[in-house]
Amino acid sequence: MTCSEVQRVLPELLDDVPEGAFPTAFADYAFADDAFADHVKSCPVCSDLVSDLKLIASEARQLAASDEPAPRVWVQIAAQLRHEGIIHEPEQVRRPVLVPSGARRSGWSTWWLAPIAACLVVAGAYVISHKPAQQMAMQNQPAAVTAPPAAATAVTPSPNVSATPSAKSTLPKTVVPHPPAQKSVPSPEGVESAAKADIDPEPSADDRQFLSVVSTRAPSLRATYESQLQTVNADIREVQLYLARNPSDADARQELMDAYQKKALLYQIALDRIQ
Amino acid sequence: MTDPKDRITEAEAIEQAKQGHEAAFEVLYQLHKRRVYSLCLRMVSNPAQAEDLAQEAFLQLFRKIGTFRGESAFSTWLHRMTVNVVLMQLRKKGLPVVSLEETLEADDEAPRKEFGTKDVKLTGSIDRLQLQRAIDKLPPGYRTVFVLHDVEGFEHNEIAQMVGCSIGNSKSQLHKARLKLRDYLKFMRAEKAKTG
Repeated sequence: MTCSEVQRVLPELLDDVPEGAFPTAFADYAFADDAFADHVKSCPVCSDLVSDLKLIASEARQLAASDEPAPRVWVQIAAQLRHEGIIHEPEQVRRPVLVPSGARRSGWSTWWLAPIAACLVVAGAYVISHKPAQQMAMQNQPAAVTAPPAAATAVTPSPNVSATPSAKSTLPKTVVPHPPAQKSVPSPEGVESAAKADIDPEPSADDRQFLSVVSTRAPSLRATYESQLQTVNADIREVQLYLARNPSDADARQELMDAYQKKALLYQIALDRIQ
Repeated sequence: MTDPKDRITEAEAIEQAKQGHEAAFEVLYQLHKRRVYSLCLRMVSNPAQAEDLAQEAFLQLFRKIGTFRGESAFSTWLHRMTVNVVLMQLRKKGLPVVSLEETLEADDEAPRKEFGTKDVKLTGSIDRLQLQRAIDKLPPGYRTVFVLHDVEGFEHNEIAQMVGCSIGNSKSQLHKARLKLRDYLKFMRAEKAKTG
């Protein structure tokens, strides 16, 4: 058999050639075609070729399942499945997992917490500056910034935000946006408009008011809260700027929501501490 | 720590997914995402496009999950669906899924001695990154058959059915793909040896 003839039959016979380096595997293997086997064993060019092609084929198998998609892929799949009504979680289901629970995200249905958290922050700062300490201690309950993901009802703001009859007349009527219907795919406009409204490198009036109250009631803590506020504001700004350019990035929206929650939590912790 | 009562098998996840449980869908996604995405990535060589294709493959799977009866393995079903999604995309783009050549041409396939590469041996081991790059350089038709056979493990009769060619054509495309990869890898090694 010549080299050309080996080449002609190689596509048919190559996958029958055993693994392993020549000459051990080739020497002992009972090839279906003796002429082919004899030539490959004796021709260094053809034996190198066969060995190389076998090596390529075996190494290629390592590439299967070697890469991982970005987290956004699952987020988008889940959103689409909800949009199509294919996902419909029953109320009292125990969530089964085959992966660590930390890997699961809260998904689309909490994205609307970002503007709500922002409103809570604004309302909380206003209340801090206008209500007496006693009323605040009674009414300033932790804001519902960690509402369960499946909640389809509007998040109830903290009682001091709604128009309580006994509240001072200076309390604003804060309008809290309602979340979108559970099955609809949330549009990016809500987050983007809240983001654009807040993009400002300078501390907001509410932040200044908050720090002013902290300075009055617990001056030793002002520096700490100012520093923490700067950090969380920087995080919010960074994500807002990114989202303004990439409004459909679900991961970034989740990050913005997390940052707003952190800020609301910071306000809450400060309130609890300085009473 | 995950409660043992919360762990489910793939079969249970499939049944719960048929009832619309989000967590069950996610379990199935986590189980198969790497295989699906890697297949897409190998075939289109573009991570963003591969993600879109993987997403589409899972969406199609989940839309049809109610029809899955278990006659074949779930992974096989998903695998084939993924290949169909990718091939459809390649066809939409007008890219050749597989070459129309039916036979080898003898003079193309005679062993060649490449200038400057004869001393560079390929046998021993192959750098995975170099192999990935070499696969990316393959013409689409060769790449399709190579990925389906050598990476994903489909047989030639399955590949022929999926891409719409003969078994002989599938084998010849695979052989040509491997020869090209050998050339690319030898060239890369020679270049690396020169630069040190």
